[in-house]
Formats: sequence, structure tokens, C-alpha cells
Amino acid sequence: MKKIYQKPVITKLQTGFMNKFGSSPLYARKVRTDIDGVPISELVEKFGSPLFVISEKQLREKYRQIYSAFTNRYPNVQFGWSYKTNYLKAVCAVLHQEGAIAEVVSEFEYEKARNMGIEGKDIIFNGPHKTINALKRAALEGAKIHIDHFDEITDLEHIADEIGKQIKVAIRINMDTGIHPQWDRFGFNLETGQALDAVKRIASGGKLVLNGLHCHIGTFILEPEAYGKEVEKMVKFAYEIEDNFGFKIEYLDIGGGFPSKNRLKGTYLPPDVAVPPVEEFAEKITDSLYSNLRPGDFPKLILETGRAIVDEAGYLITTVFASKRLPDGRKAYIADAGVNLLFTAFWYKFNIEIDREVQGSNEPSVIYGPLCMNIDIIDEGTMLPPLKRGTRLIFSPVGAYNNTQWMQFIEYRPNVVMVMEDQTVEIIREKEDLSDIERRERLPDRLKIK
Amino acid sequence: MNRIKQLAINEEGFVFDPLTGDSFTVNQTGLFILQKLKEGKETEQIVKELTEEFEVSQEEAERDLIDFVEKLRSYRLL
Amino acid sequence: MELKIAVSGINAVDNPGPGIGVAKSLTEAEDFSAQIIGLAYDAMEPGIYMDWIIKKSFIMPYPSGGHDAFINRLIYIKDNYGLDFVMSVLDAELPVLIKYADELEKNGIKTFLPTYQQFKLRAKDRLEEIAQSIGIDIPKSAVVSSYDELIKAVEKIGLPVMVKGAFYKAYRAYTTQEAISYYNKIVAQWGYPIIVQQVVSGEEMNVVAVGDGEGNSLGMVGIKKMWITELGKIWTGVTIKNEKMLTAAQKFIEKYGWRGAFELECIVDTKEDRVYLIEINPRFPAWSYFSTGVGVNIAANIIRKAFDLPVKQYADYPAGKLYVRFTDDLVTDMDRFQKVITRGES
Repeated sequence: MKKIYQKPVITKLQTGFMNKFGSSPLYARKVRTDIDGVPISELVEKFGSPLFVISEKQLREKYRQIYSAFTNRYPNVQFGWSYKTNYLKAVCAVLHQEGAIAEVVSEFEYEKARNMGIEGKDIIFNGPHKTINALKRAALEGAKIHIDHFDEITDLEHIADEIGKQIKVAIRINMDTGIHPQWDRFGFNLETGQALDAVKRIASGGKLVLNGLHCHIGTFILEPEAYGKEVEKMVKFAYEIEDNFGFKIEYLDIGGGFPSKNRLKGTYLPPDVAVPPVEEFAEKITDSLYSNLRPGDFPKLILETGRAIVDEAGYLITTVFASKRLPDGRKAYIADAGVNLLFTAFWYKFNIEIDREVQGSNEPSVIYGPLCMNIDIIDEGTMLPPLKRGTRLIFSPVGAYNNTQWMQFIEYRPNVVMVMEDQTVEIIREKEDLSDIERRERLPDRLKIK
Repeated sequence: MNRIKQLAINEEGFVFDPLTGDSFTVNQTGLFILQKLKEGKETEQIVKELTEEFEVSQEEAERDLIDFVEKLRSYRLL
Repeated sequence: MELKIAVSGINAVDNPGPGIGVAKSLTEAEDFSAQIIGLAYDAMEPGIYMDWIIKKSFIMPYPSGGHDAFINRLIYIKDNYGLDFVMSVLDAELPVLIKYADELEKNGIKTFLPTYQQFKLRAKDRLEEIAQSIGIDIPKSAVVSSYDELIKAVEKIGLPVMVKGAFYKAYRAYTTQEAISYYNKIVAQWGYPIIVQQVVSGEEMNVVAVGDGEGNSLGMVGIKKMWITELGKIWTGVTIKNEKMLTAAQKFIEKYGWRGAFELECIVDTKEDRVYLIEINPRFPAWSYFSTGVGVNIAANIIRKAFDLPVKQYADYPAGKLYVRFTDDLVTDMDRFQKVITRGES
């Protein structure tokens, strides 16, 4: 009877690193054989590798959990799905079914939302670059336009003249909530009086009707109290506007920035400890509403949470294509997906799972992507057991920002599938081929190779 | 002269190099290979013995042995 | 009563963890018998080899491993060796232990820790509010994240200033130019924000104390550092009784209902009778054996409180007792090292 084989490993003991369990075995040795009951092997066999997998079940569950955290505490809540986080149609459709309206930040996204069948009145239009065309369409269709700068006020006033009616608008403001860096490049600053100037300007123009306030304090915020401060300042400002200018502020859009259970590079605490539960955010936000709102006043609370809803519903299955030994002795793996597909690898250290039990002790390893580019690294230092060619690695959470920020660089983008609640699997974005990339190209006749 | 011959190797996979004072840990397969190298055996012979001792193909054993030897070189044990 | 108590921070090196002092204190208690289990993060932590204090040690996964790694390892120790209490003395362990304290308790492992809300009080941006509410001062300070704010803060506070990172590093700057260069240095390494702080004159005095979580003190000792090493660690110290500082510590326990050990680091200006709060550490300091040595065994009182034993009333301690740290060495075989390396326990 032959012994079970483990790949041979030798590791030098280094002072300060003599820890058998070392850096986060949680991320180093986890096995995942399925996603929502569908075997990884079956997914790859049918749809290829690499493969993005989005779980409908987890997406819906997360939405409901976050939504009810707020609706259980406040009577007037509306979620806006942040398109830029993931604007695959199937993802948007699931969230629209759940009741979210659309939150878009460009003409392209506006068109995408309309193309999905979302009415203008159910679109929040944010962003610093709204073209005249897009603004006009949004104004005619009754979208919630959130003004970012003084030039936009002028643009909208021209449009109001042109279409011959007043336009309802909100302004985006920025403020100090104790979060660093302070996002002060979007909207009008509250503390310097710029926001108040914007209100005055809107009032004196007489062509726009201010009915909402919007703010977005940052991204991956781990301090619930910051939202409490944001809400307090927004409510106070709203009453200042109502009392002095006669506008009625019908809604407060407090933006997003809620964290997912992902691990930011350079943070020490694991996400299960560092990331406060959503209920804690909801508690601070609604407490702050109740202690600052006037009795009987319940303006609509809008949230634009993106990452917190979709990130954990997304997985990327990759395959170990080759391995090599680096001159410093570390093991390196080349996966068939890299930063071309995982843009968020630049700031996250993903949870890495292996598709099978592997014998052997862990060793320091690097995971590279397939690109011919030095920066194509998915994880620059993790502990992995020795892996055979063909082993699948499953990265998560990857549902947020990757399907929108990925790039087509020397490789095709792969299939994206959704595991449906009934465990069937649907392609929601087909893998690319040459024709997708070349369809828009024109080759002048004289350059053609005869 | 390779340093492998001088290494103090215990059965639990703890390796001590008296020349440098460095310590290493090694798993069962690594231990097996180290012992064979210590006995002065050639690559082909070690691959053969690996396939006899363990449930492994010749191709995989060969590939892994090359990798392991590279690792020993990076530690200057060879 | 026999208790198996795990103590971390057993790295008795030139920047020592608090573990050995705490372990010594626990073994000196007469009303219960403590068997100390060392929790180490590296096979070379000296405590592993100090078998006259620590009988058995386990290598721990880093707390950054979260629940699955860290908590499960404690449960493994409980199942395989026995474990009644975890006395955590390292900042990095606290968040994960606080978060999963209930789960540990259900598994028969007690802790005695501050709540997460209390733990967050130690953040530098909360110090002002705390100092105010317990009747002492803090050096004037400002949180900045741009050159503009930095220069304004330096003007307002007046030179020289301390330029500090939110968690690590602090430099003294005598000119605005220097302040800017330290600012850049810290930002490059640790990121934003940066804290600019007034330099206050006085002597470095500290308090170690324990709150019972209900507003009462379970023991408290004040000291002055007489000699510190290049790393800023105490080498010689003396017990003192600065009323203002001790009262502040007492108020801190009452006001915030602090649970567990803590250290207040202060600068005391005796000429002006001012006490400045510099830092709150949510755990034992490395010199905590000093308090046991003067008759106030606060580590033992934590165990008494946690296991419903009669708590000792330490109303007073003598001022003018001396603390002297010294170095020592031991020679041993490689066996223990090998075992810790290959099995993860000694």
C-alpha cells in the first residue's frame, strides 16, 4: 500500500516569523466545492474558466437584510441601486424587483437605466459630468437631478427656459464628518458656506425648485457614527433652507459607502471583526434622524448602497495555469484571471478558496494573473498548500466594481453567470470573442495587408 | 560540497544546519527527498523511489523534485 | 480553586509584552491556584522557555485570522488541555476577543474585557472629551490632512509641536519646515490623518488600574518613570501618589463603567498642578508587576471578580517603592523549540 503523496515543502524558520499558524490560515486553507449548491467543477465544465459567478440568492438576501435594517427603524425609506457598482442587467433587474430605484452617474448609465425600463422619476442622476443632452432628457423625464457644481445650476436654468417649466432639483453637499480623506471634490461644501450660496443662487434664479439634499461621505466607512454626524448636519441644513427660502426638502439622500465583508489591504483586523453589522449603521442613522427632525416630519431617506449589497454575492473562479519558483524561494502561481478582471485587487486582499482538499503544509505563495505586465498580481503574499496545475481558486467577494471596472487588455472577458434561486445557472454576460473587440474598428484600405 | 550531508534531521520534520545555525521545517515528502539526497542518490533514482513509496505519477514527482531542489538552492543547501 | 489561565504577551524582550508580569502576579495569589498557559505568536518568545512561570505554551494564529483561526484555537486549547480564563494583554487581540466573548463564555472560557464601545474610547480623537469629563487636561491638538491645515494648526498651537500618526510614530518639530517633513514622512508610511499636538512640560507618570464594569475600582497604583530605555520603555520607576491623576483614573472608571485593566499615560506638570492625558491603553502595561510588588495584585482581583471569589479591597499602597528591571539569561536544549515549531505547542 503506497502512502498518500504530498508535494515536498521545506521552509526556513525566520526570526519573527516562527509561527506554525502564521498569517491568517482562514484565507490560506479554505475549501469550496460549490456555490449555492452548484459544483464548481460543473460550472467550469459548462461555462469555462475564468468565470464570474453571481448568486441571486445571496444578492436578494443581502438586499433584504440591509433594507429591513432601515425600514424596521424609519417609516420612509427608499434604496437607489448604484449602477456603477455593477450594472449587469441581471443584477440591476434583481435589485429593481426588490424595489430599488436606479442611481446613475453618467449619460451612459442614465441610458442604461432607461433601457432597463426604469422610468425617469425612478432615476437618481448624480455625478460631476452630466452633458446638456443628458440633463435635458432627465429634466423632461422628471429624474431626481442632484447638482454637483455652480455650472450645472446655470445649465439647468437654461434648460428650464428651453422646456418652459420649473425643474425639481437636489444639491449634493460635502462636509466634515470626521472621515479622512474628506470627499470634498463633489458637491458644495457645507462648512465654508458654499452650500448655502448654492441654495441662494437657486432661489434667486427662480427656475429651479430645490426639494432634496444629497451627500456621500466616502467609501468603505467603518465608523457608523460618521453617518450620524452626516444626518445631523443634513437635517439642520434642510431646516435652514426650509425656514429661510421656502423650499420643502422632501428627501435626504445620504449616499452609500457602507463596507462589505471584504478585507482592505493594510488593515489588520479581519472583516468579521472590523466591519460593523449594518444594523449598527442603521441605528446611528435613524437615531440621528429622530433626534434632529421636528416632530411629525419624516422626509424620505434615500440610500445608495452598492458594495454592501452586491460584493459578497460575487465570486470569480480561476484555474492555476502554471507554477514557478521565484529566486527568493517563494512559490508563484499563474492564474488565468488577473487584474484585468479583478480591478479591486488593487485595494482588497480577497478570500481565497481552493476547489478541493489538498495535502501538504502551507508555504508563502504569490498569485499572478495572466497578463504580460508586472503589476498583474492578485495576491502578493499568502499561505497556500502546494497546488497542482488545474486546481481552481475561488476569489471573493468580487461582486462590486469588477464587472464595471474590468478592462479588455490582451485577453477576452469571460462568461458571467448567475446561480438562480432554484439552482439553475444562467449566462448573464456572454464571453467575448474577437468580433466584440474589433466591431468598432475601421482599417483604412491603404493599410490592408494584401 | 553540498551541505545536505551535515544536516541534523529529526523524524518530525525539523531540520537544523549546524554550519549556519539555520533551522527548517520540512514535510514528509520533503524529508524523504532530503534523506535520499543525503545518501547521495541521483535525481532519476529519487524519482523512482518516490513513485514506489507514494501514490504519485512519475511526471508529477519529477516536476516537484525539480521545484524542491530549486528551493534548496535558494536556501543554499545545495 | 485551580484555574488554567492563558496569558498572552509573553515576549519578555527589550520591548516587553505585559504577559510575564501578569503571569507572575497570578501565580502569587494565595486564594486560588493559577496554572499559566502561555499564548505566543512566535516560537522565540522567551516566555515559552521560562518554565518556572509558564508550564505550557501554545502558538496562536494572529488575531487578524478572525473567528475561524483565533477563537477556534482557544477552543482547541480548552478541549485538549483545559482553559478557564483568557487574560489578554495585547491591543491587537482585544477586538476579536471582545466580539466573541459570549461564544468563549459558552464554551467555558471566561474573559474580563471592556465593551467594544469602551475599547473605542482609547482612540486619539476621543481623548479631549474624556480628559474633560475626568477633570484633567490634554495637550492642545488638531487633526489635519493637508498642508494648509497643518500650517494653520502649527500657528495655532505654537512651536515646538509633536507631529503624530493616528496609530504610530511621533516626532517633535521645532520649525514649520520640520513639521512638514515629519508630516510627509508619516503620511508616506501610515497615511492620514495626522495629529499635531502641543509639547507640554512635566514628568511622565502613569496609572495602572482595573474597573469592575460597574463603576468601581479593583485596584490602582500610580508611578513615575525614572529611567527609560531608548525604546521608551520603563527600566526604573517609583510609586507616587499624585491626587489629581489618581482621582482622574477613579473618575474614568466611574464615568465610563470601564471593565478590565487599563493604563493612563500622563504628563504631570507639578509646578502648574496640571495633569495632561497622553494616552489610554485598554490593557495592562508591561510594568504591571510593580503594583503586585507593592501589595496591589490587580490581575488576581480580575480573576476573583470573574469567578465570583471575594474581591480584595486594595485601599492604599506605599509611595516611594522602587521598581528595577533587570536582564537575565537561560540555557536550554533545542527540544522545546523543535516541539513548538513542529507541533505548535510546547
